[in-house]
Amino acid sequence: MDEVLVIENLTVVYTKNGKRIKAVDRVDLKVNQGDMIGIVGESGSGKSTLAHAVMGLLPSNGFIAEGKIRLLGYEITRLNDDEMRKIRWKEFSMVFQKSMNALSPVHKIGEQMKEAVIVHEPEIGETEVESRMKKVLDMVNLPHRVLKSYPHELSGGMMQRVMIALALINNPKFVIFDEATTALDVVTQGQILDEIKNLVERLSLTGMVITHDIGVVAEICNKIAVMYAGRIVEEGPKEKILYDPLHPYTKALISSHPELAEGGGRMRGIPGNLPDLSKEIKGCVFAERCPHAEKICFDDRPGFVKISGRKVACFKIKEVEE
Amino acid sequence: MSLVKVEKLRKYFPLSKFRRGRFVKAVDGVDLNVEKGEILGILGESGCGKSTLGLVMSRLELETSGRILFDGKDLSGTLRLNTETRRRIQIIFQNPYDSFDPRLSVKTSLLTPLKIHKIGKNDEERLKIVAEYMEKAGLIPYDDFLRRYPHELSGGQLQRISVLRAMMLKPDFLVADECVSMLDVSVRAEVINLLLDLVESNSTATMFITHDISLGKYVSNRMAVMYLGKIVEIGKTEDIMNNPLHPYTRILMSYSPSLFKRIERIPVEGEVGSVVGERKGCYFAGRCPFSTKACFEIQPSLVEVEDGHHVACLEVEKQL
Amino acid sequence: MKLKEFWKRYFEHPYGVAGFVIFAVLLFMAIFAPLISMGKPNEMSGDILSPPSLKYPFGTDHLGRSVYSRIVYGTRVSLSVGFVAAGLSALIGIFIGAFSGYFGGMVDEVMSKIIDSFLMIPVFFLILIIVAIFGSNLFYIMLVIGLTTWPRNARIMRAQTLSLKERAFVKVAKSLGEGDLRILMTHIIPNGMYPVVANSALQMGGAILAEAALSFLGLGDPNITSWGKMINEARTYMAFAWWTIVFPGIFIILAVVAFSFIADGLQYALYPKLKEVEESG
Repeated sequence: MDEVLVIENLTVVYTKNGKRIKAVDRVDLKVNQGDMIGIVGESGSGKSTLAHAVMGLLPSNGFIAEGKIRLLGYEITRLNDDEMRKIRWKEFSMVFQKSMNALSPVHKIGEQMKEAVIVHEPEIGETEVESRMKKVLDMVNLPHRVLKSYPHELSGGMMQRVMIALALINNPKFVIFDEATTALDVVTQGQILDEIKNLVERLSLTGMVITHDIGVVAEICNKIAVMYAGRIVEEGPKEKILYDPLHPYTKALISSHPELAEGGGRMRGIPGNLPDLSKEIKGCVFAERCPHAEKICFDDRPGFVKISGRKVACFKIKEVEE
Repeated sequence: MSLVKVEKLRKYFPLSKFRRGRFVKAVDGVDLNVEKGEILGILGESGCGKSTLGLVMSRLELETSGRILFDGKDLSGTLRLNTETRRRIQIIFQNPYDSFDPRLSVKTSLLTPLKIHKIGKNDEERLKIVAEYMEKAGLIPYDDFLRRYPHELSGGQLQRISVLRAMMLKPDFLVADECVSMLDVSVRAEVINLLLDLVESNSTATMFITHDISLGKYVSNRMAVMYLGKIVEIGKTEDIMNNPLHPYTRILMSYSPSLFKRIERIPVEGEVGSVVGERKGCYFAGRCPFSTKACFEIQPSLVEVEDGHHVACLEVEKQL
Repeated sequence: MKLKEFWKRYFEHPYGVAGFVIFAVLLFMAIFAPLISMGKPNEMSGDILSPPSLKYPFGTDHLGRSVYSRIVYGTRVSLSVGFVAAGLSALIGIFIGAFSGYFGGMVDEVMSKIIDSFLMIPVFFLILIIVAIFGSNLFYIMLVIGLTTWPRNARIMRAQTLSLKERAFVKVAKSLGEGDLRILMTHIIPNGMYPVVANSALQMGGAILAEAALSFLGLGDPNITSWGKMINEARTYMAFAWWTIVFPGIFIILAVVAFSFIADGLQYALYPKLKEVEESG
């Protein structure tokens, strides 16, 4: 099985204050065995919604309006809650940004990790659980005494490592990191990114990294998909996207980084705002803010064009490239 | 003469109301000068005391001890400033939605400070001033924005308004506390560039507090690195960037995410904690890969290593 | 604006709507009492203790007065007791709470102790004592209820102030040169008073009940027709003229329930329990 995750024509809609907001708008995406794909986007891009849809964890006011998600051979959109619960955290798992909320404050870390194993493998022996817990803690550079600690006794970085260990304890075949290092300080973030990178290489993990920070993706992913206003606008190998972006949004996003304002030049941003996602957008979602937009960009939705090793959704891609 | 001069500034927060002597030392003996018209970056991780330092220096929080001189006047020990001094010191916070009274329209929020400081003869004249700034900030048509309420604007728009609200008063000293860290990358530039334009044209001395090294580097002329309430290194931005000397600065830089550069990471253990009660030696010694026995005994003070470049590290001092 | 959203949320709550409807009916009765009372409240007739009929919808009492007319006029008393007492309580509570929380330090220390000790006073007994000393007068009763129930409001307002004080917009206001009084009046109080308003709705019900209880004990204002007094007078006759006691009783309950429903609705509008998930990425 080469394709681990196949998303076809996925549309996720939220209802809020009586409005229908298209958070994810007809997205297609494939993740192959051994790929760690970074989903990069700013707020409102739909990147987290996409991840939650894959995990079957959409909030109560969100639903999949259209499309298919096939993960590890399971049709996620057709499974009910019970069936999802059986495979979630075992076959695939997720690391959240706010780890504190994901753990019970009144139980020791060890108990909660044990629980996570036993739920899926009730017959497993005590020593086997013990050794497995120790193994995953070693993977994330945590001392074994953490098992006897309560969540509030750990620092932010340690908690995030516990979350990664928990996500890996059942040997999942697909892992999603959802802004897993966003809330951390520079040094801790760097350390955990290094650890994730090592794990990805050692265990040849397949998965997704959801982030607003291209820097994070640059560290641990081999592929990047750039999302804007619910759609993927460019997707391909990391080097292509980072060093030779083609879509005007990707270009603008990367050049917004202050690192690129060297030599006394001013930082460059993207003027304008995200389009109103409660309204139907006929054309390209970026057209309103795009310096190259023409009439066609407002009238028709651009499809993916395969060009120099990646896929881009832009009508003007040839002119822009020059 | 420096515009703002801070001497041995300390800000301790009591841990308990009844147990004396138990404090978190948020700012722990900071000496700092801010020169007229310069942009001083304050760099540090969460819990290093950079925001508290900003609040104390903008006279919104009272210090525990130490001295603050502003334009030669001693402002220590009181938060009651005259209106004119208040005008000359402004602050911009991280969260734009929290920086505006949710009940008031943008117009009211912008006209009130002008009224208080008697800028403009009447509302009409004040509105003209506001309009001018709004247009500078690219908020066009301005009356469309003035009518609205904070929650009806995007974070980037609102933060630009909070920049111009502070800068309309033509302050001499501005504290910008993580003023773009809540915003999306693509809208940060508009806020930062507006801030730089206004600050430069008014030659306002600015303290730019940030955790983002590349942003600090882009914005500031001079930079101070803080760790657990102390400044560990301070100097011209290029000196700090090209020749970081304090182990903590070097570690911080080696872990700073970068799109293009790969810096060899310096291994370090633990995370930023907090200092409670008395502690001997360098606060970073426990995590420092280069620390010696002396580092745990003697507290280093800032020593000038090159022109204007000061470092507080015994090992660096030894090599001089 | 924000207020519009607030009321929109309020009317999502079924209790809120019910409370509002009952309240509107009572208010209508109070305002248009002379038009709908079908006679004067103190007019005596020959029909003594006659059961409900077309002429006397709720029957008559031992002096031949129409229970219905008396109830309609009694609404005025109950509602004004509720409004004045709870309004006074809210006003004192808001100012003391806001000042105490905003200035902190010794002011706060002393005020908090006063608030705490006031909270321990059994209000109803205090009212009894005051009525015993100063005599019974509706105005005193309203005043006493207002002057003894403010500490809860003060406590709520103080907590609100403490959290608002840390908000960036209050700090910005200070840095922009706004004085303490201005900050209190334009930022702290208007942004922090809503929970006090919700509590006041509850207190209105409490004040109405307190007045009724006083009147029932015979300590009410003798010159005024109130629901509590009607029940007091009906005690002797209730065995064979149930209407003299049941109808005023129903109205007391209705008023108290209405205000507690309104408080529920306000609470709901203030603190949405079912927070919608913000789409953040």
